[in-house]
Amino acid sequence: MRDQPTGDQLLDTARALLRDELIPALPQDKRHAALMIANAMSIAMRQLQVGDEQERREVADLQAMLSAEAGDSIGAGGGTRAQLAALNRRLCERIREGQADAGRLHELARRHLVAVARHKVAESNPKYLGSGV
Amino acid sequence: MNDSLRSALEGFIRRQAGADRVSITDVKLLAGGSIQENWMIRADVDGGDHASQLDLVVRTDAPSGVQGSHSRVEEFALLKAAFDAGVTVPEPLWLCRVPDVIGRQFFIMRRVAGIAAAHLVVKDGRYGGDRARLLERLGMELARIHTIRPPRADLGFLAEFDGPPALHAIRRLRAFLDTHHTPHPALEWGLRWLERHAPPRGDIVLCHRDFRTGNYMVDERGLTGILDWEFSGWGDPLEDVGWFCAKCWRFGPGGEAGGIGAREDFYCGYESVSGRRLDRAQVHYWEVMAHLNWAVIAIQQAERHLSGEETSLMLALTGHIVPELEYEVLAMTEAA
Repeated sequence: MRDQPTGDQLLDTARALLRDELIPALPQDKRHAALMIANAMSIAMRQLQVGDEQERREVADLQAMLSAEAGDSIGAGGGTRAQLAALNRRLCERIREGQADAGRLHELARRHLVAVARHKVAESNPKYLGSGV
Repeated sequence: MNDSLRSALEGFIRRQAGADRVSITDVKLLAGGSIQENWMIRADVDGGDHASQLDLVVRTDAPSGVQGSHSRVEEFALLKAAFDAGVTVPEPLWLCRVPDVIGRQFFIMRRVAGIAAAHLVVKDGRYGGDRARLLERLGMELARIHTIRPPRADLGFLAEFDGPPALHAIRRLRAFLDTHHTPHPALEWGLRWLERHAPPRGDIVLCHRDFRTGNYMVDERGLTGILDWEFSGWGDPLEDVGWFCAKCWRFGPGGEAGGIGAREDFYCGYESVSGRRLDRAQVHYWEVMAHLNWAVIAIQQAERHLSGEETSLMLALTGHIVPELEYEVLAMTEAA
């Protein structure tokens, strides 16, 4: 078992130090780079907090949606990422062929894609969902 | 810029301007060009047609470019076409097609005053003057760009195509996604929606393809120049209108037209030059297209970093804009 603080905790503390003590002391022309670093640390921290859970759920969701239709199991075996790539490719084909234009797959794909997009935004830029901009 | 580069440039300007003597007194590399490099120079020119102190910009290629962006030779031709059509652009002066002067192709244009940074333009009322007038002016400028129409021998490098421009764009975006290592079903969803709702082929015009806040210069009084012509090509005029108004280019809550004000001011300016009513109902379609286009460009930018072609945190973070673009595409196509 790893000792604490964990990676996400370290990033959180490091980012606070960067934000509170270093950025105010930097010359103006270096601030943008420092803000980008703080942003990158935030994204990495949020991804560590979520872990693999979200992508595993995405796989299960896609398998339920596509296997029921295709009658086979896509991307079984291989890691979660490889499975996800295979399943998402299949979903892309279905959408492009027009099979998600209406009916059951339309409804399932719509809900799935919105949920996945929300989770990805929550990691990459959580302010976007709250802003209503 | 080192001494040999400087004297090479001085020699080039002297020959082009038919001058007796040219000396570059001031050189500064401008920040912000991820696709090209811009050097700001001041040149004292004695003799010839341009005898005076010239404030100029030297534009060259950056180490790596984005797929589909124009070479400096092509960009120079576009800038000239726009300048001749009465569009407010930095006047293009001289083009160097051969690499033996500074090692790369480049062109020189007049420098226009002002700032372009989007986050400043949308937040700081000092820049760009009255908002309604600025939007009207931007609409007029865009309509002037759209008076440039095929066939044009000077723009022969721009690809022509048959059929609806929207379907042409969809084919291009899908072709990229098919070659990319990571599938994007939300973008496929958006592309399918675009395919099913594609408008027929109408007037084909020169689309700027990056006409948005951040790509025009303003000073305290108003507009000083339309910049960044590297993605221009033939297309549907509403493509530029949708790009300008799309939510992904508003930089905050300052208004639906470019983040600086009301759509109607922009539309009215456009119509005052085009003499034709803009089909407002069709703009939404092209705003969805804008999000798809930007998402694919963002993926390509991130890929430049990932592939090791150009390691850059800025490019890396651009990849993290894709999720919100996907979310917006879903919302705009009534999935969310």
